Amino acid sequence: MTPTLSLSQLQKSYGTQSVLDGVTFDVPPGSIVGLLGPNGAGKSTLIRSIMGIVEPDGGEVLIGGQPWSREGARGIGYLPEERGLYRDMSVGQQAVYFAQLKGMKKPEAVASLKTWFERLEVQGWWDKKVSDISKGMAQKIQFICTVVHQPKLLILDEPLSGFDPINARRIIEVVRSLAADGTSVLLSTHDMPSVERLVRSSGHVESRSRGVCPVHLPSSERQDGTGVQEVLFKGNDMSFTHALGALANLDSIGPTSMSGVRKASIRLRDGVGPADVLRALTQTIEVMEFIKVRPTMESLFIDAVSNVESETTAEA
Amino acid sequence: MNYGLIQAVVSREWRTRVLKPSFLLATLLLPVVSIGFVVGAILLTESAEVNSTVLVEDAPGLISRLDRASGQYVPRCPGCFPERQNLNYHFTREAPADSIWQAEGHTVLVEYDDSILQNQSGYLVYEKSPGASAKRNIERDLSRAMEHARVLESTELNWSAYQALKMDVNLVGRGIEKGQRVKGGGDEIRGSIGFLFSALLLLVLVIYGGVIMRSVVEEKANHVVEVLVAAVRPEELLLGKVVGLGAVAVTQLLAWTILSGLGFSAFQFLFDSGTIGQAATLGSGEVPVDLLTLMAENEGLSHLLDIQWSVMIGGAVAFYIGGYLLYGSLFAAVGSSVQSEQEGQGMILPITAPLMFGYFAAIMAVENPDLPILEWLGWFPLTSPVIMLVRIAGGVALWEVVLSWALLMLTARLTLGLAGRLYRFGVLHDGSRSGWKLLVHWMQGHGK
Repeated sequence: MTPTLSLSQLQKSYGTQSVLDGVTFDVPPGSIVGLLGPNGAGKSTLIRSIMGIVEPDGGEVLIGGQPWSREGARGIGYLPEERGLYRDMSVGQQAVYFAQLKGMKKPEAVASLKTWFERLEVQGWWDKKVSDISKGMAQKIQFICTVVHQPKLLILDEPLSGFDPINARRIIEVVRSLAADGTSVLLSTHDMPSVERLVRSSGHVESRSRGVCPVHLPSSERQDGTGVQEVLFKGNDMSFTHALGALANLDSIGPTSMSGVRKASIRLRDGVGPADVLRALTQTIEVMEFIKVRPTMESLFIDAVSNVESETTAEA
Repeated sequence: MNYGLIQAVVSREWRTRVLKPSFLLATLLLPVVSIGFVVGAILLTESAEVNSTVLVEDAPGLISRLDRASGQYVPRCPGCFPERQNLNYHFTREAPADSIWQAEGHTVLVEYDDSILQNQSGYLVYEKSPGASAKRNIERDLSRAMEHARVLESTELNWSAYQALKMDVNLVGRGIEKGQRVKGGGDEIRGSIGFLFSALLLLVLVIYGGVIMRSVVEEKANHVVEVLVAAVRPEELLLGKVVGLGAVAVTQLLAWTILSGLGFSAFQFLFDSGTIGQAATLGSGEVPVDLLTLMAENEGLSHLLDIQWSVMIGGAVAFYIGGYLLYGSLFAAVGSSVQSEQEGQGMILPITAPLMFGYFAAIMAVENPDLPILEWLGWFPLTSPVIMLVRIAGGVALWEVVLSWALLMLTARLTLGLAGRLYRFGVLHDGSRSGWKLLVHWMQGHGK
């Protein structure tokens, strides 16, 4: 299937500073792709290159399999990090205006907007001045302006900033729903919980650091964990260590609780499955809980960035 | 160019400004205030004018004589004391005490002796000042009467012969074109008309250029700009903005013209009907004539008919559009590179400098329309809008007008492209640097 967005060897430098150095990845239809990176990594430059605000020095951007064009970029629903609304216009007027700039005729823009206003429960705000609405409400309007023309590709830069938890959840639901209907989403954010909530269900994370190379964090790693298990048991240290034998290493072990339960963190050795360890432990001690620890998106992100930076240092 | 998008931008710029209460208020208020000023000034003048009854104590008997029939002293030269609205003259040889002539209803006493013929000086005695205008009229009338007296006394001429000898030379211009003498002159009158067009253009450029700059700065401050440039090419966006704000200017000028016209018509009606002021007359016995006849008969006004009005109006519209596009783009470029309006104000001087230079050259052109430098400034796009309007009024070949305008439009198009490029870079501008160095940096193609 043709990727909705395809980047190939994208390069951009400002003076002698290389910001994008051969960025290559695809955004398949219906996927939610997270774009992660530390400050200054070039996420904004990458997005602006896709949108045609910045002209890349090299490489190729394909939108829906076609070479980049202004018309193609106009079809993208783009929510930049630095966003705002005209304060001197009513909410409805400017939503129609932005829809027109996306190529919609006024009647179809109004119809589509009415639907979206109802969906996000802001239908009473149509005639309000922007100066009279809250920041969170303005964020909702900006989100509606981004999706009103039913784009095949959404590029969202920090989409949840400014939202309270309830509205953030609603936006996440809408984004997931759009993805389920086939819209591709490229998500750039520093907010790891929101990445977890959005990206967990469908897709993978691209992370790149300081224009070096992209780092893939396969979803299998998120599913299988990193071999770390947490064990809640009753018994003494000696019995526990003895039961582990050569199957796993003991990372840490906590004090005994009032009810005589202790918590240990172990790391499985290569080729050893959790079931093997559990079987061995239950033969000598009483196991209360045996939990597979999945890495948080934040730890994956930090690990990935650290690895890339240490590789870069080593190469240098 | 995507004209649908440009139209959307034009519509937004126009609607958000024209449909604002402040715009409606300003548009309605200015004609009301200006008419109010005129009416107020007239009413003030009327109320300030005091009726003066002047007693002239002609002790030496220079300008008055005794009329035996009435027993009153009357002027020797009745024409020297024309009927004036607020002045009423009486003459005497010897005025009574101040309290008495005042009690008789006189408000002003004029007194002098024989020496007035040498030192040309007398006294004006009053309790309440008759006002500067009345004083000037009394002096004028008295001077004329004295002149009359001196003519009779010192020469053998009679008054009408003396009047006939007075000279007031007027030189009428006759130009030479292709070896033939043609009707000429009137350069100053025609130049002044052109200059009026130029001055108005300068005003529009400076005022609305500032509005364009503010609008760009506002979009950056609102953080709307990144969404905009992602959807619309910056050149299209700027063109829409410049045209939209131009449409606002045209709307306001039209509204002012119509409202002022209606207001002054109403005022004229009230004035003519005598409700306000005194009814205007063309003079006793004069028959009203149409404007064109009046202009053709008057040597000065006839030069207005020499102007090629079709070229003048067409040229004015064309150069207004070209000049507005060019300077609008330049103002937009400045707006792209600054973070605040105050910062922008400091950068517009180099932009307005050629405009001001053109303006002063246009003033010179009124007096000396054939200065060689004006021809060059007429070709230079930054000065051509203001210069060419004066040159067109004075008479210039059509091909020169067309070529100058074509150069102007070409430059405006290039400037619009450049301003669009700067506008796009302005999105990335974080405010750490600004000013002309930054603009030059961007022009070289560096985005940050």
